[in-house]
Amino acid sequence: MKLEIGNFYVKDVLFGEETSYKDGILTINKEDALAFIKEDEHITDVDIEIAKPGENTRIVPVKEAAEPRVRPDGRSTFPGVTGELEACGNGRVHALKGVSVLGVGMHYGSFGDGLIDMGGEGAKYTLFSKLINICVVADTDEEFERFEQQKKNRAIRWATHRFAEYLGNTVKMLDPETIDVFELEPVLKREENVSKLPSVVLVMQPQSQMEELGYNDLVYGWDMNKYLPTFMHPNEVLDGALISGSFMPASSKWSTYDFQNFPTIKELYKEHGKSINFLGVIMSNLNVSLEQKKRSSIFVAQMAKSLGADGAIVTEEGYGNPDADYIMCIRALEDVGVKTVGISNECTGRDGASQPLVTLDEKADALVSTGNVSELIELPKADKVIGELEALARDGLSGGWSYDEILGSSVREDGSIIMENNAMFCGDGISGWSIKTMKEF
Amino acid sequence: MKKAVHYINQFFAGIGGEEMADYKPEIREGLVGPSLALNSMIDAEVTHTIICGDNFMGTHTDEAVEEILKFLEGIDFDIFIAGPAFNAGRYGVACGTICKAVKEKFNVEAITSMNEENPGVDMFKKDIYIFKGGKSAAKLRDDVKKMADFANKILNGKKTGSADEEGFFERGIRSQVWIDDKKTAARRGVEMLIKKLNNEEFVTELPIPKQDRVDIAHPIKDLSKANIALVTTGGIVPVENPDRIQSASATRWGKYDISNLERLESGVYKTIHAGFDPAAADADPNVILPLDVMKEYLREGKIGKLHKYFYSTVGTGTTQKEASRMGKEIVEELKKDKVDGVILVST
Repeated sequence: MKLEIGNFYVKDVLFGEETSYKDGILTINKEDALAFIKEDEHITDVDIEIAKPGENTRIVPVKEAAEPRVRPDGRSTFPGVTGELEACGNGRVHALKGVSVLGVGMHYGSFGDGLIDMGGEGAKYTLFSKLINICVVADTDEEFERFEQQKKNRAIRWATHRFAEYLGNTVKMLDPETIDVFELEPVLKREENVSKLPSVVLVMQPQSQMEELGYNDLVYGWDMNKYLPTFMHPNEVLDGALISGSFMPASSKWSTYDFQNFPTIKELYKEHGKSINFLGVIMSNLNVSLEQKKRSSIFVAQMAKSLGADGAIVTEEGYGNPDADYIMCIRALEDVGVKTVGISNECTGRDGASQPLVTLDEKADALVSTGNVSELIELPKADKVIGELEALARDGLSGGWSYDEILGSSVREDGSIIMENNAMFCGDGISGWSIKTMKEF
Repeated sequence: MKKAVHYINQFFAGIGGEEMADYKPEIREGLVGPSLALNSMIDAEVTHTIICGDNFMGTHTDEAVEEILKFLEGIDFDIFIAGPAFNAGRYGVACGTICKAVKEKFNVEAITSMNEENPGVDMFKKDIYIFKGGKSAAKLRDDVKKMADFANKILNGKKTGSADEEGFFERGIRSQVWIDDKKTAARRGVEMLIKKLNNEEFVTELPIPKQDRVDIAHPIKDLSKANIALVTTGGIVPVENPDRIQSASATRWGKYDISNLERLESGVYKTIHAGFDPAAADADPNVILPLDVMKEYLREGKIGKLHKYFYSTVGTGTTQKEASRMGKEIVEELKKDKVDGVILVST
């Protein structure tokens, strides 16, 4: 399977006459774009705002992020979501780099939503402060969940994916500035100089713990709660086969942008043929009951063993209860002789003194830590807010609160905020971006 | 100039060895023994030295601590230093004991130093800064310098580093930091895996701490006479959530009278837990807090008594420390009310 990602490096995004891309400038005709987003009758109100790195702008509640992309051959960017279900991971896709489309609530937030500061002290907490963010700020007719803490956010998430494809169309027929090639030969048909290297699988555990459908990550449009681990090609992940859900606390989330750019996959590709033989991805999931967790770990360990894996990296989209799936999977792999490294964040509490993961096992002896969900963060007022600041305190975001006897509300009258890292949008970069670690103090 | 107080034992004060180890606590103005070295390295004046025999501290701990805290009441000081204690077991425990007590009472940082084999390390490393010291007094100057360098950062309001950067024993406090060379988690993970595959040494970023297990309780001999209580981390509360228990990362718990109820009605009780789909629990709160079944058991005589209150908090995102504190608080009430057994319903 061979995937070519054709890159177009966006230097600026402007509103203008014609939606187009030229010389690094992405121009958007706002009226046309709004009309396109409103084609979904569930979007009752929408605006588009552009937030650039360094600006004193705060964006909240952020529900989803996607990189604008399109396929020159006409297949949908997110198969089974923005168009017909087609295989992906092969052929050419064009990507606008340095930008992301954000799905932002015009008013209401939910448990898994996050915050992004584009400038100042807050900017260090998420990768998304370094991108030009094209914010789809919308309200919807999803009255059944308007005041629920858990929201499916379907209309806003789909608007994000559809608009990412819409913007991708500007570069559909253009020549990319650079092309990244991702290619793996079939597992059993590799050159001897590759197959003699230690074989490695990546085990991914996307969030799928809501028993009611509609909140979970999707694979080819399929809700991963009703799913068993499957062997996938890493190119499928990089090429739109997975869509982020709407449940996990924001700092532990893998947004769709994360899937499209998954750093751990890219690092494994870099070592492929040099120090490892990258077999592919065992796409697992995260479960609710112990039996479900165990079943998935059995599938993963069996597949890794049968594929001949010598090593594995396991990574989870989440913390707390999913740590049980994460540690169980690492242990299951070690038990069948697969040397395993884990990548995840920790929850050590505001004072740092709590047990870092919900379950621990001495077999998990090689772990990478990407951050602490419960670290307290205090930030000054931002000049501009995209979305609605009060959502952080009012709507039950995982890292926000309306009342605390010592700390008060997360959103103060002067516009400054106090929150847990939990609500930093993709703040712990578990997909591999994180330049944070955890240390003893 | 800031002020420091130094604690040493009878041996380093030049009073005597084993034969003088029952020496009672004493405070002297000015410098004694190792205080001279400390005073020359620390950005503070060491105004007083406290001396105590290691045996006296070990066998009359409460008396010794009380006496020393009384000495300090009238003294103005910014930092407290003890030792270094090297590999001397009783001295190490004494340094740990007094540092912990001084820190708690006067809210100043207390710093000591011991060798890793000193039993005082494991006893006190979570309470105070214990620097990694040498085995014997040959390392005195080095060990004092490490403590003084760190103390100077605190005294001068400078940011202190992590346990391995500074050289103190890990205190079990983990915090996030940004990595200087900006190496991503993806890169670190792949490099760690390659080392592990090649049987080379690697350093995990999360050493697995020792398990903190609670022993399983003995079975109740006669359930039909037992007083049973219901406790849940599933967030079941009266709909108005009177105790304002948080939906995640809870720090509060509540207790609610169920003595006159046969079951929990939907609309009267609900869950505020944000970590799972609340639909089933809101429709029938008994699925999480099984009051209906317990009342049935009571009528059938399977249990002797159902405790008048149920206790509730939220488990999602709640730290182990907070959970442990809340659990202890609840247990205290249950014991007072002579509860024999608890059904703890998690979700």
